[in-house]
Amino acid sequence: MKRRDFLKGAAVLADTAAFGRLHGGGTQMTPAPCPVTLLSVPDYGRDVEKEIAAVMSADGLALKGKKVLLKPNFVETHPERPINTNPAVIAHVAHACLRLGAAQVIVGEASGHRRDPWFSVLNPGLRAILDRRVKCLDLNHGDAAIVPNRGRLTRLPAFYLARPVAEADVVISLPKMKTHHGMGITLCLKNLFGTLPGIYYGWPKNLLHWNGVKESILDLARTVRVHYNIVDGVVGMEGDGPIMGKAKPVGVLVLSPFSLAADATASRIMGFDPRKVLYLVQAGQFLPGLRPEDVALRGENPRRFATQFECLDDFKAMRGGPFF
Amino acid sequence: MGTGKGMRYNKRPTMSPNELAPFVKRLTSLMLPGGGVPYYPGGGPSAEPSLLGLLALSACGAPAGSAKPLLSWVAELQNTDGSLAIQPGHRGQGIWLTAPAAVVFHKYGLVEARDRALGFVTSLKSETVPNDPNVGQDNTIVGWPWVRGTFGWVEPTAWSVIALNVCGLGGHLRALEGRRFLLDRQIPSGGWNYGNPGLNDRELLPFWDTTGLTLVALGGLPDVGRVRPSVDLLEKNQGKIGSLCGLAWAALGLEAHGKNSPEVERRLTAAMAEQPDDGLNTAHFAAGLIALSGRKVFTS
Repeated sequence: MKRRDFLKGAAVLADTAAFGRLHGGGTQMTPAPCPVTLLSVPDYGRDVEKEIAAVMSADGLALKGKKVLLKPNFVETHPERPINTNPAVIAHVAHACLRLGAAQVIVGEASGHRRDPWFSVLNPGLRAILDRRVKCLDLNHGDAAIVPNRGRLTRLPAFYLARPVAEADVVISLPKMKTHHGMGITLCLKNLFGTLPGIYYGWPKNLLHWNGVKESILDLARTVRVHYNIVDGVVGMEGDGPIMGKAKPVGVLVLSPFSLAADATASRIMGFDPRKVLYLVQAGQFLPGLRPEDVALRGENPRRFATQFECLDDFKAMRGGPFF
Repeated sequence: MGTGKGMRYNKRPTMSPNELAPFVKRLTSLMLPGGGVPYYPGGGPSAEPSLLGLLALSACGAPAGSAKPLLSWVAELQNTDGSLAIQPGHRGQGIWLTAPAAVVFHKYGLVEARDRALGFVTSLKSETVPNDPNVGQDNTIVGWPWVRGTFGWVEPTAWSVIALNVCGLGGHLRALEGRRFLLDRQIPSGGWNYGNPGLNDRELLPFWDTTGLTLVALGGLPDVGRVRPSVDLLEKNQGKIGSLCGLAWAALGLEAHGKNSPEVERRLTAAMAEQPDDGLNTAHFAAGLIALSGRKVFTS
């Protein structure tokens, strides 16, 4: 699909802006299919700000005058491994939000392994490519709002949610498309661990591990309101992810107002059946988008990106497909 | 600038009081009128930057009066069990801050508060789990956790060992086991990260800040050969460390092992001078000030 055609298609999709309202921002079950858009991004050098803005607008994401928080995934850095959400993707999304009239755009992350924010959102390389109006916040070190745990699959009665996340009008999750040595895959839902400050949870966030990673993911999925999701699958990570794997070029961004729909679609692109990923299956009991029929795919043909991520032996049973 | 009790000049060149003054002034300007120092300008007060700020003021020989309000604010954060809170509104969180608090109370002569903090530190134990052949470490060694009821990790264990060292309890059984924990978590080719040296027979990456901090904790170790790879790692990579946090703790870690780090110090000075308020982590700034002061704050 040519860029012009894509934008044209996105304009038509604007008529479907009711999706977001119908689905209540991804927090309620609905019989309507969840829109998921696949955007071709062969490499990080391509400027896709306009395309991202068009898709978000088409999906009914109203940002005018809003305080928007972008939540990328920064775990730790390695000179060769694509562990983190690429700065170019963060910048394109941030600038797309400004384009759509956001009053304030914040890039915030509570990195799971590294305390030093220089290796996360305060890295000069990221800040250098961001518009000056975009603010970067280290969520590990700062105040938190106590919010009741709405899932209660863990023993935790409440979460200490980074205050900028709690106070944002709109939260956009920007995970990396990766395998995960504990959960199989890590995408939008798992990315919410990074909304919890390390000064309350430690590095890594071991309290969540002791309460069950799966249960913590599900509790956070019920507790933290996310309004939009964009998975960085331009170059993902396969094998022994989320930090020890190797690069897997896929060339796609997966965009959706619905976390589970984005995760399920990204999972299928990675060659894993989301109905075999336990935490996704359980999330499907309270979030829409697990089954293929729950998803309305837009944009590029998914067959263009469908692949098979290498994984640890423990997760080979999750494989499936072809899905598209 | 005089030498206070328990502190002495290091052999390496240090900044003069006049050179330190602008940094001290900047640190004091970040103190909030109601007490405490925020992690970032514009934020609310928090324990860690306040504690490191107090240590920095002490290291720079700042007048006692300038530290008094901050010290009072920190002392108010101490819970009845001796532990420290992250901030007044979150009393039950932040037990990992108790060890650095003990160091501060010791340096400022708050003996009763120090002893209660030490009592808490020595009683706090990390959980252990059975050893896993895929993880290259001994999971049965007891260290210190970030959060009560969880596993032990490098940074809270390093701070606890430092606190015990500073307060004259370096021979305590918990200090001995803490050192064993830290040595076990050392990455074979050098350095430490959050607390896993390797996975599936592959080494994980070291972090500059945790490496420096842990070298501080293991300063004066009789068998210096055990940490030689980590000292060498920092020494060889002085030019690659880019962050204020990494530079500060690298300088302190090398200093703890008698190493000059001119490249790190030069770059640390520049980083502290050039860092605008936007993105300035005051805890890291204070650690940098401690490093540039040249005083050994983390020894008894």
